[in-house]
Amino acid sequence: MRLSSSGLLIGLSAVAVLAGCSTTSRLEPYKQTDAVLLEGEGVVILARRHHATHEAEEEFIDCISDALASSKQDIVVHDSDEFQDMLYPWFEPSTAPLNVADLSELLDRPGVAERVSATGVRFVVWLDGSTDRVASGGSITCAAGIGGAGCMGLAWWEDDARYDASVWDVAQLNESGTIHADVRGRSVMPAVIVPLPFIARPQAKACRGLGEQLETFLTTPSGYGAGIAEIAEIG
Amino acid sequence: MFAAVKRNSWRVCAGAVAQALVLAGCASAVVVESDFPTPVVESLPLAVGLFYEPELRDFIHAEALPRSSTWTIDLGDANLAMLEPLYHAMFASTREVDTLPPSDSDAASVDAILSSALNRFEFDVPRTTRDQFVEVWLEYRLELRDPGGNVLIDWLVPGYGKAEIVGSRESAVHRAAIVAMREAGAKISTEFLTQPAVVDWLDEKFNEG
Repeated sequence: MRLSSSGLLIGLSAVAVLAGCSTTSRLEPYKQTDAVLLEGEGVVILARRHHATHEAEEEFIDCISDALASSKQDIVVHDSDEFQDMLYPWFEPSTAPLNVADLSELLDRPGVAERVSATGVRFVVWLDGSTDRVASGGSITCAAGIGGAGCMGLAWWEDDARYDASVWDVAQLNESGTIHADVRGRSVMPAVIVPLPFIARPQAKACRGLGEQLETFLTTPSGYGAGIAEIAEIG
Repeated sequence: MFAAVKRNSWRVCAGAVAQALVLAGCASAVVVESDFPTPVVESLPLAVGLFYEPELRDFIHAEALPRSSTWTIDLGDANLAMLEPLYHAMFASTREVDTLPPSDSDAASVDAILSSALNRFEFDVPRTTRDQFVEVWLEYRLELRDPGGNVLIDWLVPGYGKAEIVGSRESAVHRAAIVAMREAGAKISTEFLTQPAVVDWLDEKFNEG
């Protein structure tokens, strides 16, 4: 029995999808107060930028901001650049408050509390983390000749999106809670003449998961139980 | 007048060389431009004369990176755009002085003269696709003098910025430079009053008064 190249490609792809391309999500929300956004109050999403080794990607910050701004709850999301400009120099990487006690001290400085109040921001969400490639392997070889060109082989890689969102309540001067998201995705690319990528997008999944959790966090006073949501998806 | 013409000619020349290199496809040119915010800080009851070193106004960093391209980064206008609103917020009144030491009339009308220079500028652009961040280091040198010309403080203020490469490397260098400048500005505006020499001078000045 002869197997055609298209049949081989389909077969290999199906095996690759079933065995390889997958994501595993773990979301751990923890809320310690009943505070929620009230009418006229907003939220700002800021990245922790004091680490030497990593910082949350700009597109991830934008993704979370967009997810909250377009949520069903009509959450007002303040522009992070504008917020940092209004509070300059107090939210730069080296001067930004690292804990709520620092924030409290900062708000005691002349003019700072008034500026924060003018923005309408009630909650500051600090995002920390990044998406990193944690493993990769396999190989694909391509060749071209007079009769045509093609590739053969299998490559795979695994990305890990780990982010922490710390929510600070500016009105009550406390840390309302945290949400931890860890999404791991394995992508595969089989090649039989044509490379066929099956790409897992853990960062996009982390954004969606964290965005949904933050929406609930900021709008639900009670019944938002601390817990762990673990989801494994294939394909 | 002559000095201004000479400075402008030099900038035009440097710009032309940078443009020629870019057109030749072996160079990257970045002109750092941004609106810098006015800091939320309490102003000191001082009249300060501001002197900007000519090199600060015309600062262009040119460097050929090994196994990479030649970069020219123009910070001249951005330096003043960052420092001017900063000083205006930090001091009750400011006026620019053209020379150092200042003229007798300038010296008589201020409590101190603050001169600013850009002492050092370095940057790093990753050569592999796995590195995602451009980094910029810079260092301003601030000298505060009393009207008599005595140096009260000689202060080196560092700034560090990094920016993720999203799009072109040039735009990442631009953003990293702005982050570094804002960092330096943040240090100047928040740490000026914590410098021991400044504290001593202010104590002396206001206790005398």
